[in-house]
Amino acid sequence: MLESLAPFYSNLGGLILCPLLGSIILFVIPDSRIRLIRSIGLCTSLITFLYSLFFWVRFDNSTAKFQFVETIRWLPDSNINFSIGIDGISLFFVVLTTFLIPICILVGWSSIESYEKEYMIAFLICESIMIAVFCMLDLLLFYVFFESVLIPMFIIIGIWGSRQRKIKAAYQFFLYTLLGSVFMLLAILLIFSGTGTTDVQILLTTGFSERRQILLWIAFFAFFSVKVPMVPVHIWLPEAHVEAPTAGSVILAGILLKLGTYGFLRFNIPMCPVATLYFTPLIYTLSVIAIIYTSLTTIRQIDLKKNIAYSSVAHMNFGTIGMFSLNVQGIEGSILLMLSHGLVSSALFLCVGALYDRHRTRLVKYYGGLVSTMPIFSTIFLFFILANMSLPGTSSFIGEFLVLVGAFERNSLVAVLAALGMILGAAYSLWLYNRVVFGNFKPNSLQKFSDLNRREVLIFLPFIVGVIWMGVYPEVFLECMHTSVGNLVQHGKFD
Amino acid sequence: MFEHDFLGLFPEILLTNTTLILLIYGVVFSTYEKYDYPPLVRNVGWLGLLSVLITILLVAADTPMTAFQNTIIKDDLTYYGQIFLLLCMASTIVMCLDFKLSCSNVFETIVLIFFSTCSMLLMISANDLMVMYLAIELQSLCFYVIAASRRDSEFSTEAGLKYFILGAFSSGILLFGCSMIYGLTGVTDFEELAKIFAGYEITLFSAQSSGLFLGILFIAVGFLFKITAVPFHMWAPDVYEGSPTMVTAFFSIAPKIAILANMLRVFLYSFHDSTWQPFFYFCSIASMILGALAAMAQNKVKRLLAYSSIGHVGYLCIGFSCGSIEGIQSLLIGLSIYVLMTINVFAIVLTLRQKHNRFKYIADLGALAKTNPLLTLTLSITMFSYAGIPPLAGFCSKFYLFFAALGCGAHSLALIGVVTSVISCFYYIRLVKIMYFDTPKIWILYEPMDREKSLLLAITLFLLTLFFLYPSPLFLVTHKMALSLCL
Repeated sequence: MLESLAPFYSNLGGLILCPLLGSIILFVIPDSRIRLIRSIGLCTSLITFLYSLFFWVRFDNSTAKFQFVETIRWLPDSNINFSIGIDGISLFFVVLTTFLIPICILVGWSSIESYEKEYMIAFLICESIMIAVFCMLDLLLFYVFFESVLIPMFIIIGIWGSRQRKIKAAYQFFLYTLLGSVFMLLAILLIFSGTGTTDVQILLTTGFSERRQILLWIAFFAFFSVKVPMVPVHIWLPEAHVEAPTAGSVILAGILLKLGTYGFLRFNIPMCPVATLYFTPLIYTLSVIAIIYTSLTTIRQIDLKKNIAYSSVAHMNFGTIGMFSLNVQGIEGSILLMLSHGLVSSALFLCVGALYDRHRTRLVKYYGGLVSTMPIFSTIFLFFILANMSLPGTSSFIGEFLVLVGAFERNSLVAVLAALGMILGAAYSLWLYNRVVFGNFKPNSLQKFSDLNRREVLIFLPFIVGVIWMGVYPEVFLECMHTSVGNLVQHGKFD
Repeated sequence: MFEHDFLGLFPEILLTNTTLILLIYGVVFSTYEKYDYPPLVRNVGWLGLLSVLITILLVAADTPMTAFQNTIIKDDLTYYGQIFLLLCMASTIVMCLDFKLSCSNVFETIVLIFFSTCSMLLMISANDLMVMYLAIELQSLCFYVIAASRRDSEFSTEAGLKYFILGAFSSGILLFGCSMIYGLTGVTDFEELAKIFAGYEITLFSAQSSGLFLGILFIAVGFLFKITAVPFHMWAPDVYEGSPTMVTAFFSIAPKIAILANMLRVFLYSFHDSTWQPFFYFCSIASMILGALAAMAQNKVKRLLAYSSIGHVGYLCIGFSCGSIEGIQSLLIGLSIYVLMTINVFAIVLTLRQKHNRFKYIADLGALAKTNPLLTLTLSITMFSYAGIPPLAGFCSKFYLFFAALGCGAHSLALIGVVTSVISCFYYIRLVKIMYFDTPKIWILYEPMDREKSLLLAITLFLLTLFFLYPSPLFLVTHKMALSLCL
């Protein structure tokens, strides 16, 4: 029964269209019917999530080819086609995206006071764009969708952000990304005028000359490193994260940062293998600097969200180290780390959001002794803090462990320096937790001791399940990406 | 003598006749005491719209031909160019229909707009230097008058004066160029010129052809004046700001199409040669840079739009400097998308007004997101599109222009284009910022817009956002146009 129906609903285009359809329906509903708007928004995102799970179930582990491929003609006389498909690398990013969006919508359930309909619409549009980015098998259209996240994100940060500084943050976010994209656009044009196509599947088998590879690699790097973020261009991130609304931070940390690393994995490494080897030391250096520098910066932050934002930078750079160790463990570890970071860091942002909703401040010095007023919150917060410092048994541990194993094979010095990050991670995580939850009870929170309500606990549950599941039995995730990653390593002749 | 030649001019003949009829109708009835001197804007406007639509049908029925001893040509470039021009005309008239915003003598303005449209149709189909010059002059003359049409405003008279002097000057330069070409070759026909220039190396220093080079240079300067490319742009911001807004809308939309189509025919068909390309190359770079940097400091909407249009002319000139089929095609694509965006923006600017004073400063847009959320969304999407943010149409045009530039080896053009488009993002998103994020002390409540403009806005917004889903038709059409020019 299920099998016979499969061709009808196993198309990726439907997955992209699903949230878009929901947002169009929302558009025609009047503002006043707020319950209906909320439920439609939530239902659409949940349906999309289930839909994406279906691809995971039907995913064929034994092949490295792109699956569920669909192609629609886009431009008549040049080879730019709207073609989508997923492989082991992109599968989980799609699932992560669809997993996080219902959460974002649930978070905004009561805390969003203005433009509620637009809130839902913005998030749904964001969702379909991001799914499209992860599925796109055409370089130009990949770029198009990658950049088009800017518009909804700009509006999300600017409108529902919390303070006046949000405008500067939105600007910074916008301009940093655009600046990186300058080079990417030129690189795409160069590829297009050189090969006459932008189809990723063809480009992956195109051998560019060494000089060209280095040029392209730098252009791609400029584009993706802003999003990762690598160290000199990470300034936008703490600003944007801090000023964004809670759900905006969840998307930023959970998905947008993954766009950069996904781009490295999809374009830099397989498309320019020679240049990748050539630039590996650069990546190592930048990542190690980022890990140590941002970990140290995290320790001295007094803003809760900045704290988590900087720790995100550290974790993402862990990911790049793993990725550029160019062996199967390293790359799988870094994908797993990204997934786990998508869960853990999003959950931490949700925690901070819950605190902010109650106390209207994010400065650490106003908090303290929360354990006596918010016990459930403290427990959940502890869980994710521990996951953030990659406690064994949580998902981050598997990721970081595999990354270190991979890195150690390549370059033991890098592995040692990166392992410093784990120590520092423990330092800042526990230090933060101690300051917020333990210690003296601060009088200003005396009146507001409401603990998490049922909806909020419900939001955290899937995160907890995901983190533990990934930490205890990562094989489910690893087995899907194994063939694709192996192919990637073999394709670049990195072994 | 002219057996079938008038068939080729059917659209122009119809439009001229209706213009005359509208003029007589307007003059007679607006001075009719029995009806209490009615303003007649809506009547003339609607009748004019009708006649434009009929003209479109007539143009659509055209067949390729040449007429009047080869001075008029009808091919794919004219065909689509004229249809496109008439569509833009129709939308400008739709913008003018709202008679409450206009001064008393607006119906004359509409009649003049019609006259200039006739001349622009001729410009697109001109195949001879004389016809080209006459058509340009007829069009410019109408423009001088309508720029100064608001007699009680100092700005408008100043704009008219400035426009007249500089326009006449540039026409003089153009005419001088034409006469030099004629004097040295003895022909004015584009086809004959193309034959003469085929394989003709015009270098500045070879003795007999330096005159030809100067002729081409003068013609180029004349044209660049008209399209406000950078070294010759100084009149544009003042004229754009001073003229009545609907006239500004008309200026920044229709003449660009006609003049660029004409330039394509003159430069890429008749004078096809690489000697003049560096000139356009320079203008393109200068316009892009100035457009991006100067618009940043503006605080009046119309000046901002003037500089942004200068910048966009710079992008379009990339297509010229390539001179390849892709270049022409990208120019045409860029032109049509630019026109779409401009129609959209000016429809909004015309809509936003209070009882007596018109929306003038950018800061007046504050809190627009609260008072007119849909309008705000439209304007911000258009701004994003101007800035070339991906899923919107503006990105597609820029992408293809840069692609053409790289394809013909003009790497620096593409690089500068990309950089300036990032810089220009800054002021485009400033508008978005003001609308959404600013909370000014004084909220300005604008009057609701009329049905015609809202329809126009909806259509253009729809095209801008969904263009990238199905761009093939535009690419095919522009490809045809480019081919008809080159083959």
